[in-house]
Amino acid sequence: MDVYLPIAEVAVNAPLLVALGALVGFLSGLFGIGGGFLMTPILVFLGIPPAVAVASEANHVTASSVSGVVAYRRRGAVDLKMGGVLAAGGAVGALLGVELFRVLLALGQADLVVSLAYLVFLGAIGGLMVTESLRTLIRQRRGVVATPHRDRRPPWLYGLPLRVRFPKSRLYISVIPPLALGAFTGVLSAIMGVGGGFVLVPAMVYLLRMPAGMVVGTSLFQIVLTTALTTVLQAGRNQTVDVVLAGLLLLGGVLGAQFGARASTRFRPEALRAVLGVIVLFVGLRMGMGLLLTPGDPFVLSPGSATP
Amino acid sequence: MIPMADSSPAGAPAIAAALTEPTVQVTSSFTGAKIVLYGAVYDPRRQPHDVVVVVRGPEQPVRISRKVRVAGLWLNSRPVTFEGAPGYYMAASTRPLNAVTGFRNRRTLGLGVDNLPFAAPAETRVETRYGVSDVVVSRLGGEYLAYRRAVIRLKQQGGLYAADSDAVRFVDTGLFRADIALPSSAPAGHYTAEILLFRGGEPIARRTRSLTVEKVGIERTLYALAHERPWSYGVLSVVFGVFAGWVAAVVFRQP
Repeated sequence: MDVYLPIAEVAVNAPLLVALGALVGFLSGLFGIGGGFLMTPILVFLGIPPAVAVASEANHVTASSVSGVVAYRRRGAVDLKMGGVLAAGGAVGALLGVELFRVLLALGQADLVVSLAYLVFLGAIGGLMVTESLRTLIRQRRGVVATPHRDRRPPWLYGLPLRVRFPKSRLYISVIPPLALGAFTGVLSAIMGVGGGFVLVPAMVYLLRMPAGMVVGTSLFQIVLTTALTTVLQAGRNQTVDVVLAGLLLLGGVLGAQFGARASTRFRPEALRAVLGVIVLFVGLRMGMGLLLTPGDPFVLSPGSATP
Repeated sequence: MIPMADSSPAGAPAIAAALTEPTVQVTSSFTGAKIVLYGAVYDPRRQPHDVVVVVRGPEQPVRISRKVRVAGLWLNSRPVTFEGAPGYYMAASTRPLNAVTGFRNRRTLGLGVDNLPFAAPAETRVETRYGVSDVVVSRLGGEYLAYRRAVIRLKQQGGLYAADSDAVRFVDTGLFRADIALPSSAPAGHYTAEILLFRGGEPIARRTRSLTVEKVGIERTLYALAHERPWSYGVLSVVFGVFAGWVAAVVFRQP
C-alpha cells in the first residue's frame, strides 16, 4: 500500500515505513538512543529528498523522545535545570543550524553536507565506541579490573566562570560547557536530522561528569526541546517538514521502542555498546561512501529554488 | 449532423482528440496515473498518417550540479539553473519521431527530449566576438551541452521525460489511442496535450487539450498549510508529535 507524501511529493510504501520505524524504534529502546541517525540515512536511501528527510526526522525524534522523557521523569531521572541550560544552548544551535542549512540548500550543497556530517561525526564516534568497548570486553575476559578514572575531573572545565549549582546532578560547574554542548547538538539536529544523543550522552558522562542515572533522561529532555524548535524552524524557513512521513515512522516506532527497552535488560551493557558502535560506524561510512566513490553519473539535480 | 473535427476546408485531413480524464487527482494513495487520450483522424482519401501526442507539464526551473573531486572527496560544483524546462514531458507517437518528420520540424515543434527549448540564461552573456556584435555565449563554454544533456538524462531516469514511439496506436480506421504514464513525482499544475497530424513528414493539423494535475483532500490541505502558513504548520507538527509521544508513554506505562 503506497502513500503519497504531501511535502516530499513522492509515493512511499507505508507498511515498509512503519516496519522500518518499528525496527529503528526497537534499536533505540535497546540502546537507549533517539535513532535519528539511523532513520535519516534510511529515508535518504528510500528516495526521500535529503532536506525533507532531515527536517521530518527532527519532528519524529521530538515525538519519540517525549515518551522517553515521560518514563524517565516518573523515575525522577531528569535534571530539568541542566536540561534547560542544555536546551538554551540547543536553541541557539538550532537557529544557526537551520539558517546554515537554508544557505546550503540555496547553494545546492545540502545533500553533500548531510553526507559529510554523517561521515565525520558518526565515523569518529562509532570508531571511539568500538575501540572503547572492545578494550573493556578484552579486559573483562582477561580478568583485569578496570582502573576507575571517575574522579579525574578535567581542570579546565572547572576553572571557567559563571558557575551554577545543579542540585539534582550534584554538580557545581560553569554553564558555559553545557551551553556550548547544547548549541553543538542543536546544529547537528538541524543539518543531520538527529537528536544528538550520540554526542550528548558521552559528553555528559565524560566531560560534565553527571551521575549515570541522570544522563539519559536529561539528554532526552534537551532533545525534545531542541528538536521541537528545529522542526518549527525547518517548517517555517525551509518548508521541508513532512508530518505524514513523521507520523508513519512514529506509528511503528512507539511499538518497537517498548520491545527494545524490554529486550535491553537481557544483554550486557558493554556488548550493547560494542554493537551500537559498529552500527554507528557502518551508517557513517555508508553515508560517506557517496563522497568517496566515483559517482555513476557525474551530474546531480539539486532541488530547491535558485534564490535563497 | 456530426461536427467537423477542424475548421479546415472540406476534404482536407483533420484531427480531433479528447482526454478520457481531464483532471488527475493527487490523493494520499496517488502512485502515478495513466492518461488515456482518444482521437480521430478525418481524411476522406485515407492516406497514411502519423500522429504525435506531446504532453507538457508546468514549467519548472531545473538546478543541476556537476560532481567534482576535491582532495579525494566528490563534491558538488556551483549549481546551474536551466529555465523553460517543463516539469513533465512526453512525446508519444505512432512511429519513432525521426521517421515521422525531419530535424527542422522536430526542433521548431519541440518534438523529442533533445529538442526541448530550455536554456540557462543566467550563464549567458552577450559580447562581441571576431568583430560580430551581440553574440550569445555561455559561461559554461563547451560544458554547456554536457549540462543540458545531463538534465534530460536525469529527468528521463526519473520517468519525467520520455519519448515513446509505441504509445499512439490506431485502434480502428481513423481512430487512435494514446497512453501516457504519469509518475508519482510529476508536478501538480496545468498540463497541455498537443496532438499533431503528420503526412509526408509535414504537420497538417493540430489540436490542443489541457489537463490539470491537482492535489486534493488531506494532501492539498497539508501542502497549502505548509507553504502558505509555514510557522503554524511547524507548530502543529510539533504539537502532533508531542501529543503522539505522550499518548504512547501513557499507553505503554509499565506497572
